[in-house]
Amino acid sequence: MAENTITTKGLTKVFGHFTAVDTLNLDVKGGELFGLLGPNGAGKTTTVRMLCTLIDPTRGTANVAGYDIREQAAEVRRNIGVVSEGVSLYKDLTIEENLRLFSTLYDLPRTKAEARIRELMEMFGFREKSKRLVSALSSGWQKKAMICAALLHEPKVLFLDEVTSGLDPQSAIALQDFTRKLCDEGETVIWTTHYMGEPEKICDRVGVVFAGRLVKVGSPNELKHSVSELSTVEVETPGLSATQVEKIRKLGKVCKISYNDPLLRVTCEHHEDLAEEVTKALMGAGARIRAVNTKEPTLEEAFISLTGGEEEIDRFLESSARRK
Amino acid sequence: MALKLLRDIFAVAGNESRQFWRNRTAILISLVILPLFFTVSLGAAGGGATTRFSPTANIPIAFIDNDLSTDSSRLLQTLRSSGDFNNLLLGYREDSALAVLGTGKIYAAIVVPEGFHNHLANNQTSKIILYADDGEPGVGDQISATLRTVVQDFNPRVEVQPERRGLSQIEIVQKGALFSSFNIGLVVVLGVVQIFATFYEIAGGMAREREDGTLARLLVSPTGLVPIMLGKTLFDSVLATIRTFIVLGLSVYMFGARPSTDLATLVIVSLIVALLTMGFGFVVSALRVGARAVVIVEFFLVLFLFAFSGLVIDKELLRGLSKAISNILPWAYGFEILRRTVLIGRPLLTLASDLQIILAATVIFYVVSYAIFALSRERLAF
Repeated sequence: MAENTITTKGLTKVFGHFTAVDTLNLDVKGGELFGLLGPNGAGKTTTVRMLCTLIDPTRGTANVAGYDIREQAAEVRRNIGVVSEGVSLYKDLTIEENLRLFSTLYDLPRTKAEARIRELMEMFGFREKSKRLVSALSSGWQKKAMICAALLHEPKVLFLDEVTSGLDPQSAIALQDFTRKLCDEGETVIWTTHYMGEPEKICDRVGVVFAGRLVKVGSPNELKHSVSELSTVEVETPGLSATQVEKIRKLGKVCKISYNDPLLRVTCEHHEDLAEEVTKALMGAGARIRAVNTKEPTLEEAFISLTGGEEEIDRFLESSARRK
Repeated sequence: MALKLLRDIFAVAGNESRQFWRNRTAILISLVILPLFFTVSLGAAGGGATTRFSPTANIPIAFIDNDLSTDSSRLLQTLRSSGDFNNLLLGYREDSALAVLGTGKIYAAIVVPEGFHNHLANNQTSKIILYADDGEPGVGDQISATLRTVVQDFNPRVEVQPERRGLSQIEIVQKGALFSSFNIGLVVVLGVVQIFATFYEIAGGMAREREDGTLARLLVSPTGLVPIMLGKTLFDSVLATIRTFIVLGLSVYMFGARPSTDLATLVIVSLIVALLTMGFGFVVSALRVGARAVVIVEFFLVLFLFAFSGLVIDKELLRGLSKAISNILPWAYGFEILRRTVLIGRPLLTLASDLQIILAATVIFYVVSYAIFALSRERLAF
């Protein structure tokens, strides 16, 4: 079992009368891709900033890559890479010049730094773009350049804070794939986002953050099924008779069945073979089947349920906008 | 540790340098427009080297003629036509003039004693007495020096005998005689240009870095605040030196300035003023002033310094609250050092007290800004 790379105990940040992060207790294992999921203003970025030693916590402790963020801030910084909305590159310099500057600040020996820069340029496909000013690159390439800078010193932990916001879908997918690959190679990544689909696709575990609190932690599947143990199968089957519908109802575990020609909707407790069983039963009863869809609860539904419903989220977003 | 610090300082300075030389607007403003604008406008306004600029011209001075002779009348005419004494007040008696000296009504009294004409007629040395207000030490010696020059032109056998009113413990800055070239313009331009440019480079630069997120990027690296601040200071010091040469070149070749000091002293003094302003720039930056607001702060800073630091209005001529403000403005001491070195060629090390004040203020600015940043890193980063 991998050791914890990040551990927080009661980590809290208060700005005036506003508690941005409230008693955060979190363990992230080495090589894990951990998602922090929550709406804007939920406390994700503040959490990342505390773990990066950019801001001091009001209360609590945190350990990153084996170092205390208060007592050993310099060591923490040596072992982390950060790509965030607020952490950028010098736009009037080329990517190479940016990387050379940071290689000096990270004390990389010159030959090692040059080799690493070449490796990263190659890895991210910069090639001729490496001589271009950062300001002349598209936002997707700028994000890649930022990741290069964050990976330059081979950090143990990489913080990616809302990295896909503002990116075109292709670049966002490429970035997600790349991050997944990094974790598979042993890198620990904290991926914060407010897009519900992202952590579901790439994260090993997800922490749902809302109003400064960590509401729930688990794998995307665990989170989804923690709010609903029900699975639904929708079958497009025209002209079904009442007898045929009754036959399906008699299948074990079915909680709910409805038929609105041509759509038959069957809901039961989480059951992986439900679609197969329903299809078989319908075919056995002589029904014509056009399409079958399995509907699992989504992470978005889980999020809404975990955070107290849509109205609660709306209220939070309004108060968050007022604070800004 | 020390090596790492040095390496980081040079890395930050090198980074500043690369960015600066790539930014045409920054080069244009910092090294062309600011030096050229201030030197040319002040030079054109003052007529450069061809027109005399006398700081004593408009100072109210009582002229008491106790000799009432043709020579004393001729002396009065000479003083008036010199352009150095345009505000000579007649009608005072010696005792009434001394009674108002120190009240601000008059700053000096020139007394032509009885026998003035007779002494000159007998080929003897004749004296005129100058009473100067010791509450305004700079002014006293300024008038004294200018009077000596003018009187020498009138008749070399006339001596000026200064008479002090009150206790004079304050060092007197002599200014008068050297004001006829663009030297005073050089002092003003150097002061203003360094303040304008260095303040914006530091406070504006830090604000832009904060807004662009590059400062946060530096802060998540193992480098500390000290290399960031010192690296920026190092590069801006180089720029300030380049600016000194530009201003000096323009002043000398376009307007005939003839500074009384050597080049090294001029560069050092100019750098001292620049460093003080950089320190203040860091303080403003620590208060999280945005890039746009920096321009407004700069405008008010320069306006404030114009009024109270002795840059344009002699510090010695200020009174009451203005004087008190001037005394606590460290720039005022910087300009005083500039004046004493450029105008009368005082060696830098003889200005220890002014140097101590300005250096102490610079250190305080740096320490205060560092403390604010260190106490709250988010202030610096976001």
